[in-house]
Amino acid sequence: MAAPLVRQLGCLRLTPSIQQPAIRRCISTIYSARREPTPLPSNVPEQFLSQLPTRLKKEAEGPKKIKIYPPPPSSRAACKDPVAKVTETQLSVLDPKGERKALFDYRRNPRSVKPGDILRVTFKNGDPFNGVCLSIRLRGIDTSFLLRNELMRVPVEMSVKAFSPNVKSVEIVQRSQIKRRRARLFHMRDRKHDRRSVENLVDSYIKQKRAFMGKR
Amino acid sequence: MPPRLPGKLLPLSSLLWGVPSLAPRIAARPFGIRSLNPPKPSRFNVGPGLPVLESTSTAALRRKANSLPLRSGAITTKKGMTAMYDPEAGKRTACTVLQLDRVEVVSHKTRQRHGYFAVQIGAGWRHPSNVKKAMLGHFSSQGVSPKRHVVEFRVKDESGLPPVGQLIDAAWFQEGQYIDARSNTKGKGFAGVMKRHGFHGQDRTHGVSLTHRSAGSTGPSQGGGSRVYPGKKMAGNMGNNQNTVQNLKVLKVDAENGIVVVNGTVSGPKGCVVRIQDAIKKPWPKIAPIVAEPAVEAAAAAAAA
Amino acid sequence: MIQLKTLLNCIDNSGASVVECVNVLKKKRPATIGDRIVVVVQKQRAAGSESSTTTALANKVRRGDIRHAVVVRVRKESQRPDGSVVKFGDNACVLVNKAGDPIGTRMNGIVGQELRGKQWSKILSLAPMHV
Repeated sequence: MAAPLVRQLGCLRLTPSIQQPAIRRCISTIYSARREPTPLPSNVPEQFLSQLPTRLKKEAEGPKKIKIYPPPPSSRAACKDPVAKVTETQLSVLDPKGERKALFDYRRNPRSVKPGDILRVTFKNGDPFNGVCLSIRLRGIDTSFLLRNELMRVPVEMSVKAFSPNVKSVEIVQRSQIKRRRARLFHMRDRKHDRRSVENLVDSYIKQKRAFMGKR
Repeated sequence: MPPRLPGKLLPLSSLLWGVPSLAPRIAARPFGIRSLNPPKPSRFNVGPGLPVLESTSTAALRRKANSLPLRSGAITTKKGMTAMYDPEAGKRTACTVLQLDRVEVVSHKTRQRHGYFAVQIGAGWRHPSNVKKAMLGHFSSQGVSPKRHVVEFRVKDESGLPPVGQLIDAAWFQEGQYIDARSNTKGKGFAGVMKRHGFHGQDRTHGVSLTHRSAGSTGPSQGGGSRVYPGKKMAGNMGNNQNTVQNLKVLKVDAENGIVVVNGTVSGPKGCVVRIQDAIKKPWPKIAPIVAEPAVEAAAAAAAA
Repeated sequence: MIQLKTLLNCIDNSGASVVECVNVLKKKRPATIGDRIVVVVQKQRAAGSESSTTTALANKVRRGDIRHAVVVRVRKESQRPDGSVVKFGDNACVLVNKAGDPIGTRMNGIVGQELRGKQWSKILSLAPMHV
């Protein structure tokens, strides 16, 4: 065999092993003092001043302060609840003495109208309407009460706005005879609980009233 | 190069009439021999008697002149609804209560710089730390406080531009005048076609299963191009888009509290921003000479100091 | 809310007692007080009681007749200009001829005041009561 011709493919430990330099790692490093910032020369030419970074600029040449102007007086703070304000001004015209308001404020005023009472409403044009009060809806200027009656054997319901200028007077003909346990007496629409016509009652009330006024 | 003539025609025509320009005469002839040298239009589209171009910004402004208000509007907040009674007639009117808060003129847009006339109006107040620096600089340069809401109101010409910094209070509007109220409607979220577009949906029964409220088909197949046309009504976000309610009568004005009460309803929930301006479909209100002029100047002087 | 197929009481003495609405005239919405409708007479009043007063009246309309009518009461609540709301316990109407004059001569029952605003004052004056 021609051994010298064939090149050796590999060999173990024939060449001397190369010593890898160990990587040095230390927790502490050698302290070197921070370099002193070189102070600005006192005589910097004016044309270079604008090129300086902002931290090197003097106070006066620092970032420009934006001037904030104060706001004008606020109407929102002056009037927190404009809807109540508008309602108030309306009520001062429609109900200056607050009588109408007290008449229907059944949560606070013990002498007010209560659901179940029989009422007589007289309108501006002279038409009356009588009925049992089924509910009182307290909504500020939109306060209303629901009356139910039977006229010529036809049930009629009328919801009247308490502060409407068309309502001339509201009279309590008769207080509720029984203790009402609920604020809305819609069950009185059912046949079983229906009060039917209150016309007779109101007629006798008017007669009584006339007699009383006549005596005076 | 002009087209060549058949040899006989030219001598014949020139012999008959002997006029160099053939065009007008030929046009009058009943049979179809056309001019050889038709008159060419000028390459330059100028000269007297030409129609005025309509696609310029000047023409656009002229077209809008009648529908642009003469003066600026105001930013208000919807506060809620209530009712007003007419004590004599006994008529009840439902109304909306709007409130103006620190409404000031922030800047102007002019024809010269921006191409149109408009008043930039700001309302409310925002803490300067919550305002972007660009806007803060804008407010500062105009000498007004940082505003929460800033909008533009277009006006017809420079006579409708009040001085920058002028306070617009409720007295800007008069009782009895008409306004347009512009605001965003209440958002309804992602709504189906029945709610959003009033589709009828599908049957409850007759074999329909699980698709009682869906839109059904969205278009034809091959004959219709096998595609859904743009603008097809489908399910999607409903509400929270701008709506203008026109011609609302101003029932009551309370300058002290910045309250404007208008007839009827205004879009949006309570607390939403409502932009009001003179109604464009009613005669413009007769504006009294600005009484608050000295006060404004004093305020401007105070702001400058 | 009177529309096709609504049954109404007829409250005049034309002879009809229950009528059915077949058409609402001059509007695309359900009829309310003061609106003119077309009705079919479904039930006649008892002929005996009618004939005892006047025989002529009993023949004025018969079952199956198609007539015009004016609505005078509705169950649906209606709002007045001052904000008050009125509703009745039933739907009722009065028969009229083509010219708009009531066919009956008397009415028994209350009617709504809305008739005045809609030029039916003749019916309003015939009615014993209005609310």
